[in-house]
Amino acid sequence: MNYILHILIMIEIYLILGLSLNLLMGYGGLFSLAQAAFYGVGAYISALMMINLGMNFFFTLPFAILGCMLLALIVALPSLRLKGDYFMLATLSFQTLVFTILYNWIPVTRGPYGIPGIPSPVLFGFKISEVWQFFLLGLVFTAAAVYVFKKLYHSPYGRALKAIRDDELLAVSLGKNTTQFKVTAFVISGGIAALAGALFAAYVSYIDPTSFTLDESIFIVTIIVVGGTGNLKGPIIGAFIILIIPEILRFLNIPDTMAPNIRQIIYGALIVLMMRLRPQGLLGDYRFE
Amino acid sequence: MLELNNINKHFGGIKAVDDVSLYFTEGKISALIGPNGAGKTTVFNIISGFIRPDSGEILFKNKTIAGLPAWKIAGAGLGRMFQDNRVFGKLTCLENVLLAKKGNPGENPLGAFFFPGKVRAFEAANISEAKKWLEFVGLADKAEIAADNLSYGQQKLLAFARLMADGRELLLLDEPTAGVNPAMIGQVLTLIKKIVKEAGKTVIIIEHNMSVILEIADFVYFMDDGRVETFGAPKDVLADERVREAYTGL
Repeated sequence: MNYILHILIMIEIYLILGLSLNLLMGYGGLFSLAQAAFYGVGAYISALMMINLGMNFFFTLPFAILGCMLLALIVALPSLRLKGDYFMLATLSFQTLVFTILYNWIPVTRGPYGIPGIPSPVLFGFKISEVWQFFLLGLVFTAAAVYVFKKLYHSPYGRALKAIRDDELLAVSLGKNTTQFKVTAFVISGGIAALAGALFAAYVSYIDPTSFTLDESIFIVTIIVVGGTGNLKGPIIGAFIILIIPEILRFLNIPDTMAPNIRQIIYGALIVLMMRLRPQGLLGDYRFE
Repeated sequence: MLELNNINKHFGGIKAVDDVSLYFTEGKISALIGPNGAGKTTVFNIISGFIRPDSGEILFKNKTIAGLPAWKIAGAGLGRMFQDNRVFGKLTCLENVLLAKKGNPGENPLGAFFFPGKVRAFEAANISEAKKWLEFVGLADKAEIAADNLSYGQQKLLAFARLMADGRELLLLDEPTAGVNPAMIGQVLTLIKKIVKEAGKTVIIIEHNMSVILEIADFVYFMDDGRVETFGAPKDVLADERVREAYTGL
């Protein structure tokens, strides 16, 4: 039972990450490889505040979210002047930069040793430590993220983002400050990714930089590519499929030494196949061209 | 309404726009004509802020707009229709027109969460206005269809509906009849005349079809090699030797 709940919690975390990337990729048409960076910074802010300042998990959340939003704003202002592939390269270098800082800023992050002993969240004196309790906490977080994105997708803001994705020049000619729309999307996306990071840190109680690498960003992109973008259901189905695949491999009696490699091969093959055969993903509204 | 004074623009060694001064009067249809490469579309791009002029002054409603970002110029009441059809393809026709409205409180991401009532009220008014403009151009029955699924001519009509929403006063139309099926050209021309007569818009049009110019234009500028060669009433300009030479080689 705990095994299944554990998988569900991981699905919750990646679902939130997938949704946050969807706002950029499926709505804004912005290909970002920095989602794991915001995920990681959110996790570190929350964990470090709990350990060093003895703060309650729930009080660290606004700091993690606002911190990542501020960071996203700083990154967005120069990067969003770049177009298409160059924007992606800017996010790639930001991702690498964040990983390098987490890995080498030893006085603060303890570098490769990571941060052990992250305390359990406490809500009104009630300690969240069992797996099923984390599952419920994750469910609340996921519901919050779904609510936020559903509102945004169906608002005139979401419509304007889609318009910019379809034809930026036309949107400008109608008086839309397209840069401002893209910056706000990047900022919101970074803030929600931080929420997933805080949840992850509290759940596994130990974080180190290897959880927030470029591979991780690509993994989040895989969720979107497989599930589909431009709506809510795409990233949701994508998170389920991508996280259940390794568990299926577990039951196929593949040796532990081979399993991670096979997983990488499957993910790689999935991206290539989807791009070739179904560029809009399983349930997506928008195809990358 | 719009005034360009001594505009210059070089691309490398080429003088795309060479000391051009143009004046456009309110409530009239003015045309820019000239052979390909004469600089007409560059002039449009300069007016709408997509290209920055090297020198010169642009006054829109007596305010200088040269050097402002394109979205600000558009926001000041200047509409632009592109030569190649541009639509938000994945969005419905109604959504295409809804996007034309400026100052939508719902386009602030916080709007949906903190002032939903205001957003809803604005949206309702916007929808009824957008439907009115779709009807105006004859696309009322296509409101819920994705713009990608319209014919080329219908996409032009949609572009008109988009320009009409939000009370833009000056419309720049870059070859509105190019590529449109001949049966539909009459419909487009009637629409342009209606826009000026009934809605009081000012129109500047780039056009190669001389019969269209004779039919709708009040005033014509002829450009060649980045310069304004002659201007005046359509009949006089089209009778000019240089114009005839450029168009017929005679």
